[in-house]
Amino acid sequence: MKPFAYTRAESVAGAITALGSPGAQLLAGGTTMYDLMKLRIETPETLVDIQGLKALNYVDHSRPDMLVLGAGARMSDVADNAFVKKNFPAISESLWRAASQQLRNMATLGGNLLQRTRCSYFRGGEPFPCNKREPGSGCAALEGLDRGHALFGGSTSCIATYPGDLAISLLAFDAVIEVAGPKGRRTVPLAQLHVEPGDTPQIEHVLSDDEIIVEIRVPRTPSGRGSTYLKIRDRESYAFALVSAATGLTLARDGSVEDCRIALGGVGTRPIRATAAERSLIGKKVTAATARAAGEIAFAGAKPGHHNAFRIELGIRAVADALQTAKTRAS
Amino acid sequence: MNVSRRKFLAGTAAVTTAATAAVVATPHDGDAASGPPPSRRVDAREKVTGDLRYASDRLLPGTAHAVYAVATIGKGRLLEVNTKAAEAAPGVRLVLTRVDVKPPGFLQGGGHAFQSLQPLTSDRIAYRGQHIALVVADSLHAATEAAALITARYEAEPIAVEIDAPGAQKVRQSDVLPTAHDVVAGNAPSAFAAAPVKIDHEYESPQSHPVPMELIASVVQWDGDDLTIYEGTQNASAVQNGLALQLGISPERIEVLSPSVGGAFGQKNSLQTHLAPVAVAARRLGRPIKVVVPRTQTFHNASFRPASHHRIRLGADRSGRMLAAMHDVDQQTSRHDYFPAVYTELTSRLYGITNYGSQQNLVRTDVQTPGFMRAPYESPGTFAFESAVDELSYALGKDPVALRLANDTAVDPISGHPFSSRYLADTLRRGSRKFGWSERSAAPGSMRGRDGSLIGWGVAAGAYKAATAPATARLRLIPAGRTYHATIWVDGHEMGQGIRSAVARLVAEDLQLRLEHIEVGVGDTRGVPPQHLTAGSWGTATALPAVYAALKELRKKLGLGAKGPVPSGRGETIVLARSRAPGQPEAIHDRAAQGLPAGAGPEYPEFTAFSFVSHFVEVRVEPTTRRIRVPRVVSTVDCGKVASPRTAESQVRGGVIWGIGAALRERSEVDERFGGFANPTLEEYVVPVNADIGRIDVGLIDKPDFNLNPVGVKGLGEVVMVGVAAAVANAVFHATGRRVRHLPIRLEDVL
Ligand SMILES: Cc1cc2nc3c(=O)[nH]c(=O)nc-3n(C[C@H](O)[C@H](O)[C@H](O)COP(=O)(O)OP(=O)(O)OC[C@H]3O[C@@H](n4cnc5c(N)ncnc54)[C@H](O)[C@@H]3O)c2cc1C
Ligand code: SF4
Repeated sequence: MKPFAYTRAESVAGAITALGSPGAQLLAGGTTMYDLMKLRIETPETLVDIQGLKALNYVDHSRPDMLVLGAGARMSDVADNAFVKKNFPAISESLWRAASQQLRNMATLGGNLLQRTRCSYFRGGEPFPCNKREPGSGCAALEGLDRGHALFGGSTSCIATYPGDLAISLLAFDAVIEVAGPKGRRTVPLAQLHVEPGDTPQIEHVLSDDEIIVEIRVPRTPSGRGSTYLKIRDRESYAFALVSAATGLTLARDGSVEDCRIALGGVGTRPIRATAAERSLIGKKVTAATARAAGEIAFAGAKPGHHNAFRIELGIRAVADALQTAKTRAS
Repeated sequence: MNVSRRKFLAGTAAVTTAATAAVVATPHDGDAASGPPPSRRVDAREKVTGDLRYASDRLLPGTAHAVYAVATIGKGRLLEVNTKAAEAAPGVRLVLTRVDVKPPGFLQGGGHAFQSLQPLTSDRIAYRGQHIALVVADSLHAATEAAALITARYEAEPIAVEIDAPGAQKVRQSDVLPTAHDVVAGNAPSAFAAAPVKIDHEYESPQSHPVPMELIASVVQWDGDDLTIYEGTQNASAVQNGLALQLGISPERIEVLSPSVGGAFGQKNSLQTHLAPVAVAARRLGRPIKVVVPRTQTFHNASFRPASHHRIRLGADRSGRMLAAMHDVDQQTSRHDYFPAVYTELTSRLYGITNYGSQQNLVRTDVQTPGFMRAPYESPGTFAFESAVDELSYALGKDPVALRLANDTAVDPISGHPFSSRYLADTLRRGSRKFGWSERSAAPGSMRGRDGSLIGWGVAAGAYKAATAPATARLRLIPAGRTYHATIWVDGHEMGQGIRSAVARLVAEDLQLRLEHIEVGVGDTRGVPPQHLTAGSWGTATALPAVYAALKELRKKLGLGAKGPVPSGRGETIVLARSRAPGQPEAIHDRAAQGLPAGAGPEYPEFTAFSFVSHFVEVRVEPTTRRIRVPRVVSTVDCGKVASPRTAESQVRGGVIWGIGAALRERSEVDERFGGFANPTLEEYVVPVNADIGRIDVGLIDKPDFNLNPVGVKGLGEVVMVGVAAAVANAVFHATGRRVRHLPIRLEDVL
């Protein structure tokens, strides 16, 4: 770990000011940051610690139209929040199924959204070429061990999977994030937060260095209650998704679909919203056949590499299963 | 008797220092002063409270910290190591790229180390991740930071890492290792050709790593010309003798303390190659040095389970009698050592098959030398063999339990000798009753759970040689008020398997002492020499006979009868006793004293000895996304007398979990372009987590084997995982109709 300066922010404004110094980076729970510093992938000059900022640590469900989550709220607190569990089980589950209890106790929602890929060539350092870690060096994964790499959104520079779970469930429910920076505040739809690698895989999101996520807002919808997050991985706990699906449904009296949400995790270079698959179910009943068909539409554009094609079929089935669970909850 | 170690005869070996950490039981349990003592883990309290000290917990004043830099090419020549930046970094005291030490010698080739290659002694790079420089600094951070500043130039050569990579070189084992002969009995080829029912398939086990929680670590301290090594090892004598040879000093000058090991599983069975350069550095600096090999480096600088490919041919008559078996193996080794392939020792004896043939090949690849990882041959070997037996049961239309029972034998078909004891059939019968096997419907895919999941029930048998090694025990009894305090030093290492608990229990039972009045010293060359390798499941069957002999000696010396407590009023008494395997010559103790492997078995002069096990496994496979879950396992073991029920049951559970890991999770990935292993972290090397494990029902036959030793114990720690992977694979077949002939079985195999 390279030596660095450390400063504890007393306020959001103070943190923004501190971020103005060259090479300054935010530190929240540290579960990604310290990890990548030890791997010498992140080499901040200064860490601006916002862990202690109470002003960012809240869950506010007093508004009728929005669930509002502070960016500094801990994963475990939000996962366990009764309102979230009841009104957005998919969000709660996406947090429960991430990492481990110890990590969830430390990690924050804001940090979770901006966690970086688990591509082992990226994390492994020398001798692996990696455009994300060292722009222009090449991509070891393209012709390598790509079992966990992206099926969507890859480029000839990078096929690294976006690993987070929370962003998937948030995306399904049209969440927006509020960002504070030197020029004031702005909102960014979650759908626009992460970017595809293109030729610049080192750029992963649209925030600038001195901006802070302060809040996540999720519009309330009946589909939130009828929702689930299904995560398929190589073991029952403590592993990233091979594929995951966040689904939410609102059903009419006759059981036909009025509103449908499907987002995919573990398969894209960024969180994926499967809008065509959502549309395919509107007005229909959720049956084994329509659910499967929606899964197939969701994975229609998937581009497998050498070892990951099985995740297309797995993903189709995961979407279908998650729709069935959502249907049960929505009924 | 040649007991030459200096501190030994002095009678003052420092069991009372914290360093020896002889664990004293706490007084609030273990009350009975007569009858069998309570079964518990004598160091349980220390373990759960974090009080137990491991080797690298030792912080000596003035300790410096060492970190290695590693090679980034897969093979080739080191042209230059640039250490300038590292040397200039703050806190750095020493950077070594070359040390003048002798080769350590390969454990399986007459030496003491896990491999013959000693990094930092030449410009050869044999595998990616090989140590190329050692940095010593005032703090771990400084050393880590400086090690990252080291760069190197290489001349790279083409590599082949995996067993089937182009460039991997296959050699016939019997050509290169004259002592390793292929097991042959009768005429297998012609009996197979004539058999009316045949099975002929290939099965693959991947390279995998043991990843014990405790990393490989040492604290090294010189005091004048005397050297003390604190290291979690299963083989203090090999560390002592091997390091002495490497440094060119007398073993008398080195003491090795391995009081408690945080998991070893074969990876800590010998001298590690990180040690000698650190000893050199410590001498130069005149400071103690602590080195902890980071997790990623343990994937490359310590042994692992080699990949192996197995071809199994089974021939049977229509009644289900197995007439012939052939087991051919290709097993990975390194370029610089021949790690022997000994898969057929077991598969030739699992059943009474009189025509048996085998050919074992070694495949040379560009890796560090592989080694013994828990049930080293037996787990991959039975995955292949017991899968094939399951395939045979379907080919015959016979129940797989009945098929196994019908082919049981009381006689070793290879040597013609009887087994010392063999309760395999009992384990199968008892296990199948407990499991409810009779409810099984045989057709694959024919059993469903309420949630639509496919239920599969599978069975497999297993065995493991009942090995024994020579041992020395020293027992001291001192009066303590109205009772006595016993201290027993014995050859052995506590890797968490519970050797202290088993030894304490035997002493407590014999002398009718409370457990808290017994101290057990193991893994310490200052206690009794030698501290011979504890591995191959021989630990208990080796230590307990020596302890038993010491107890007899004590009774003799005190003029006591064969039973009953020691009458009060006796003074301090010290006795020494030795034991060895049936048929071993007295001189075997000298071999052990040199830190060389000295185990015997499974073939003894008058019998063949194995421990036996059966596993019944239920899997549930999700109907759609096909995740495989293992809600229950029933495992029944014949390990002779159960020396310590509590730790024995834990061993079984641990072994079954390992087996589930082997079956469904673990594989060390390789990218041939770079060499080395590509998933060298606990995140990416997927071992089972709690959520993966369901109910494990443990059964112990508990019939003493007095042929093997007077205590009646056989080994347990290894046999418990033998056959688990096959039972899981057989259950997956029963659930899905998919016969997966490679490990691990992952989602993509059953989608
Ligand atoms: C072993 C392991 C397993 C894991 N498994 C999973 C898993 O299964 N699923 C999953 O989703 N995650 C998983 N994670 C990732 C974990 O959830 C994230 O590390 C965590 O959520 C990050 O939050 P943090 O508060 O610790 O962020 P930090 O590590 O402090 O920061 C992460 C990044 O976000 C930036 N940042 C932090 N807060 C803000 C903010 N408010 N505004 C702008 N930028 C910010 C930091 O500068 C940094 O770049 C795992 C992590 C580990 C170590
Ligand atoms: S996939 Fe992306 S992160 Fe992984 S090696 Fe290629 S460039 Fe690097």
